[in-house]
Amino acid sequence: MQNTATPTVHITLDGKPLEVPAGISVAAAVLGHAHAEHTCKHPVDGSARAPYCLMGVCFECLMEINGEPNVQSCLVTVQEGMTVRRQLSGESA
Amino acid sequence: MDRNTDLIVIGAGPAGLSAACAARACGLEVTLIDEQAAPGGQLFRNIETPMAQAILDPKDRETGLALVNRFRSCGATYYPCATVWGLEPHKVSCTINGKAESFSASYIVIAPGGMERPVPFPGWTLPGVMGAGGADILLRSGGTLSAERGTPVVLAGNGPLLILLACHLLNAGVNIAAWLDTGTWGRRLQSGALMPAGILDAAYLGKGLGMACRILKNRVPIIRGVTGIRAEGTDHVEKVLYEAGGKTHEIATRTLLRHEGIIPRTHILNSLGARHAWDTVQRYWYPVTDEFGHTSVDSVYIAGDGTYVHGGDASLLKGTLAGIEIARRLGVISNDEAHYRCAPALRALRRTRIARGFLRYAFAPNPAIFDLPDDTLVCRCECVTAGDIRKAVAEGFLDVNEVKRVTRCGMGQCQGRMCGPALAELTAAAQAKSPAAVGTLQVRQPFRPVTLENYCDLNIPK
Ligand code: FES
Repeated sequence: MQNTATPTVHITLDGKPLEVPAGISVAAAVLGHAHAEHTCKHPVDGSARAPYCLMGVCFECLMEINGEPNVQSCLVTVQEGMTVRRQLSGESA
Repeated sequence: MDRNTDLIVIGAGPAGLSAACAARACGLEVTLIDEQAAPGGQLFRNIETPMAQAILDPKDRETGLALVNRFRSCGATYYPCATVWGLEPHKVSCTINGKAESFSASYIVIAPGGMERPVPFPGWTLPGVMGAGGADILLRSGGTLSAERGTPVVLAGNGPLLILLACHLLNAGVNIAAWLDTGTWGRRLQSGALMPAGILDAAYLGKGLGMACRILKNRVPIIRGVTGIRAEGTDHVEKVLYEAGGKTHEIATRTLLRHEGIIPRTHILNSLGARHAWDTVQRYWYPVTDEFGHTSVDSVYIAGDGTYVHGGDASLLKGTLAGIEIARRLGVISNDEAHYRCAPALRALRRTRIARGFLRYAFAPNPAIFDLPDDTLVCRCECVTAGDIRKAVAEGFLDVNEVKRVTRCGMGQCQGRMCGPALAELTAAAQAKSPAAVGTLQVRQPFRPVTLENYCDLNIPK
């Protein structure tokens, strides 16, 4: 599916390497390319959640990016070498 | 850093870009701040990449690329990847690359665009349930909705955008198991009440929707008169239940996409206390402005779908008008010159408005979509249910801000962006009133999360 003309970048998701098109958001990479089922356990009710809007409205896409927790990952563009972690423990800052 | 300029534009979608270009063409000094990494907004997202171009129809691609190229060479100062979290009449506070920055200007144009109307239903927090717009963004990011090709997708809702999304999905080889139609537009289209005005805009209706409807015909099972949508599963949607024709039905799926039309993003303007009005047909708040997007806050303009949802081509016109009008008010161009420059855009915008009047009715949201069972999680952040809201109203809390205070609905990270419309509908319905009569959620600044350090950098005098 990936257009060969599209440049890619390498990131890691929960420690696993992932190659995705450059210019897309972290949330789109994790959901549309890595197909992670969910991206966090909700801090209030502990349920599994995943990005809903992909445009900065819902705050369901919070992940740890380069060590910083609770980042709205749909508003961050993937960068070469970026480390992304899903927030699965249910704690929140 | 604090820089002063003639005009700050917030947002790099069609409206923001055209406002910046128009103002620059009049000779203004312009700074444009946007949250995305590249210009285009939602409509022309990632348009400079072949991946995103592939999904747009040729005319949109051409318009979008021309606009972005014009913007890139117009001489505006451009700050992508910026999180704007504070706004005062002449001042914008934001974070860029982890640093707090503030900008000041004589005028500000906000171009926040629209967003999908968030409509809760039981199970809507399950992974695998998404807004249709979100799904479209995944496709335009070169991604797919599920790991295996061919896994069926269920669409639910109403609105022209859902038709276009369905086409994108079919083009991408996605198998659409069903379209659960919650609208009442079929009948309205037949009645053709406002069709003559629609003809004025034949290009839009003819090419866009007409073609889309033909593509969908016979390829997507459309189920009309659907109510009671519910997603079920453990940690992920596994099936969708709905009612139609007096019976409950069930479809197995791992992806459910909901869409109930587009509403203006009013969050930032609300935080300034700008005046808004309620649209009784489309059931949303929109800012009160003149034809140039001048809000009730003197130095603040708004452009694009954020003023009222007319679509991308209208957003271009609205941006142009705001940019020229501000140049006129600054005295950089004369009244005559402004009049001359605005005339074509004003004419085209008036024509579009009349034409879109038809869509306003044809795709009006069905108020019944807010008839939610008590166990529906309305506030995704604070986990507040429809029942909690009704209970608060029964206890005598009648305004949305009071209900928010006692239930915490709207107090979470998204600040009511996702639950606000449903909170208003439920609070109003429980009192047999219109949502227009129960107030609007007060939005406090900062309207996006900001580190204490960044906030203090700009707000505590050193
Ligand atoms: S997916 Fe909704 S805010 Fe990121």
